[in-house]
Order: sequence, then C-alpha cells, then structure tokens
Amino acid sequence: MAEIIFNNVNKYFFLQHQKTLKELVQAIFKKQKTLERVHALKNLNFFIKKGEVVGIVGKNGAGKSTLLKLIAGVSAPTSGSLEIKEMVSPLIELGAGFHPELTGRENIFLNGVILGLKEDYIKKKFNEIVAFSEIARFIDTPIKYYSSGMYMRLAFSVAIFTDPKILLVDEILAVGDTAFQAKCLTKMNEFKDKGVTIIFVSHALETVRAFCTRVLYLKKGELMYDGEVNKGIDQYINEK
Amino acid sequence: MLKYWELIKHLTLREIKGRYKQSFLGFFWIILNPFFQMVIMSFVFSTIMKQQGLGIPYPIFLYAGLLPWLFFSNSLGSAMNSLTSNSSLVKKIYFPREILVLATLVAKVFDFILAFIIFAILMLVFKINLSWYMLLYIPIFFLQFFFTYGLSLLLSALNLFYRDVQYLFDLVLTLWFYLTPVIYATEFFPEKYRFIFKLNPMSVFINAYRQVLFKGDFPKWESLVVGLLISLGLYLVSHRLFKKMEGTFADVV
Repeated sequence: MAEIIFNNVNKYFFLQHQKTLKELVQAIFKKQKTLERVHALKNLNFFIKKGEVVGIVGKNGAGKSTLLKLIAGVSAPTSGSLEIKEMVSPLIELGAGFHPELTGRENIFLNGVILGLKEDYIKKKFNEIVAFSEIARFIDTPIKYYSSGMYMRLAFSVAIFTDPKILLVDEILAVGDTAFQAKCLTKMNEFKDKGVTIIFVSHALETVRAFCTRVLYLKKGELMYDGEVNKGIDQYINEK
Repeated sequence: MLKYWELIKHLTLREIKGRYKQSFLGFFWIILNPFFQMVIMSFVFSTIMKQQGLGIPYPIFLYAGLLPWLFFSNSLGSAMNSLTSNSSLVKKIYFPREILVLATLVAKVFDFILAFIIFAILMLVFKINLSWYMLLYIPIFFLQFFFTYGLSLLLSALNLFYRDVQYLFDLVLTLWFYLTPVIYATEFFPEKYRFIFKLNPMSVFINAYRQVLFKGDFPKWESLVVGLLISLGLYLVSHRLFKKMEGTFADVV
C-alpha cells in the first residue's frame, strides 16, 4: 500500500525581487523585474510505501525542503497531484511555537497542541515527558533561562510523544551535542522498528547510508535517482 | 475550526501570558493606556465639544468611542504581523493559517475586557442610567469583531508578500480615525456629508454602542444592517483570498 503518491508534481515559486510595496512601485517605474518564476520541483513521479525509510539527498537548493513542505501540507503543488493516505506528523520542528517568557510546563502544552496532540493526552503523559527531558527541577522556570541543551531536551521530549504514522525529519541531527544526537537516533530507530514511514533530509551522508532503506537524489528539482541507498549516494558524490 | 479549538486556546494563552509576563506593569499598561489617552483627549477637546449638547459628560462619551476604536486598531496592528512573526510554524506545520490571526484577535479581546472594566466604573461614577439595552453591547461587539477579523485576514496575507503594507495601513488608520465619530458626534457634521458614517462600519458600531449605553434605546437597525453586510462581504472576499494564497505562505514567509 502506497502511503504517499506523487503524480507529475510540479512546484513553481514566485521569487519576489522586492520585499516592500515601496520597492515594487520603484521597480515598476524603472521597468525592472518584479516576479521571477522558479521551477523548484520538476515533474516528480514516485510513491512511498508504509514503513519505508527514505533519505533525500541533494545540494542546497535542489528542492529537498520544498519536497518535505509539500508532504507536510504547508505548501501546495502548482500542478500535478499529491496523495497522502495517512496523517503526517509535522516535520519534527523542535520547539515549534515555544515562547521564551513561558515556563517549561506551559511550553510543553503549547508545543504539544501545535504538534497535534490533545490536551488530555498531554496531561496524561506529562510526567513521562518531563522525566524524559531530565529537567524536572526547572519545569516551572521560564525557558528563556534554559541553556540551549535544556531547551533542546525539552523540545525533543515533546516531539517524541507524538505518535506519527509518517515522520518528516529535516536536518534534525545537526543540532545538539553528541549525546543528544545519539538519543535522537535511538528514538528514530525505534520508530523505524515500529513501522513508521520516515522521510529524512540530511547532508550527513553516512547517517543516511546507515539508516535509510531507499534514497531519492534530487538535482535542481529533478529526481535523478530513486532506489538503492549506496548507489544513490555514490551517484550523488560522483556528480558533486 | 472546532477541531482546532485547543490550538486556538493555547495560542491565545501564549499571546496573553507572553505579554503580561514581560513586565509587572504590562498588566496595568493595558488598562491605563486607553485611560490616559481618554484623559488627554478630554482635556483637549472638551471645550470645543461643550457646545454640542451631547447630554452626557464628554469623557464618558469619548471613552465609549475610544475603547472600541483602540481594540480595532490594536487588533489590526498585531494581526498583520501574526503570520510573519510565526514564520517557523508557517514553514513547518500545517494547520489552517487563519488560526494564527484568530488567536491574536482573541488575545486582544482580553485586553479590551480589562480596559472596559475602568470604563464601567467610570460610567457608575458619572451616574449613567443602567438599562437592559446595554446588553446589546455584546452582539454589537461580536459584529465589530467579525469585521475586524475579515480585514485582518486580508491584511495579514498581504503583509506577508509585501512587508510595508503595515506601514501603509498605519496611515490609512490615522485617516480612518478622523472619519470615525470617536472624538466627536456625527451630528457635528452637516447632513449631506453624513453618508460617510453610514458606509464606515466602525462609525456604525461606535454609534450603536453609544445608542445602547447612553440613550437607553435600540441601535439604528438599518445602519447595523449596512455594517453587517459590509462585514459579511469583506469576510467572504478576504477568506477566499486568504485560502487561495495559503498554499504559498510557506514559500514566501
């Protein structure tokens, strides 16, 4: 059963050359370019099955994050159709919506609700979340006083208590210290074993090699390779 | 939208708590700011307005118009930034984007209620007669909220594409303020120019508030209907545009 189906998906951006109306009016008088169409994703056709762990590789600007945005539903395709059969968990955005003035406790609820959890569920799991984050002592302190490590631990703890069917991960492992990264990876492996579909964007090719079961290689918005992990990564390295 | 009410609630709470926690004075500021504005304007305009025969003390008359106006302009100011200031959410997580706008406005309603308490006390001090008609204030406020929401949807989306829309609109607001009977009464104007007030929903609402609070009477229904129709039309157009552009918010924010 395919969970994610891309059917001739194209995405165009309108690159705005002017960020303000003032500049826009000036540009129109000077007959400068105002909008530029950028073809960000070109005719993508593929499907992803349940339980697959797909790594997306490619240079900056190849369209990796745009692809994730389409799957997450925050951005709409310009043409073609996109089918998502299961509820997608938001991209793991650590600390989405955190407010520095609020306490750890308040932020757990805020962040949890933003990630799609129900308030009752968060209440039930609250102690577990706090225990996992290892910051029980500071849970009623505004998070602006947290160290960045504490901040990350709190954010990550909430994120893993969502129960995703499709998990989108964008460079998450680039943040935090080694211990924290290891913890992330362990948790991701748990998700993998549970049969969660994972879509993983990363520049850390070795992690992709170790972790993914399939690779998509994007170049300037085109899908250059789709299939076996090592071959895809080798092709990417050769073309770099 | 109902499905998202917990999200709306927590985003609203974030807005309120975040602001009030920043300083102890923050809490009083919300109440005192409109109060002092009223006091200053009363000093400035009361002599001119004495001749107008308002029937009630000028400070109360002014306050009744100033509070809803401040709610309107503060709401628009915050709502216009509600998408840009939540860019990390807009880029990463899907939920209907109008929730960000709505939560900002609901937080402003909280401010409005706080400021209204002072107004209520002042009405007692000035011995304004209480009447059941005053309860009509609430549905009129809902109508004003609806109008504000419609305009906020439109402006917040536009401001995402061109970031100086907010500064441009500040100018519009200044002009709008003087075309709305906040510091004066509509009777102040010659009959032939009064159509401006009929087409200006903010004027319709403020006149209606004064009618139910001070005259102990029903508001002018035909004016309210015009206000309602404009609000409804604005909402339908704004909501449609907003939803149409929503798919590109994450690309431009």
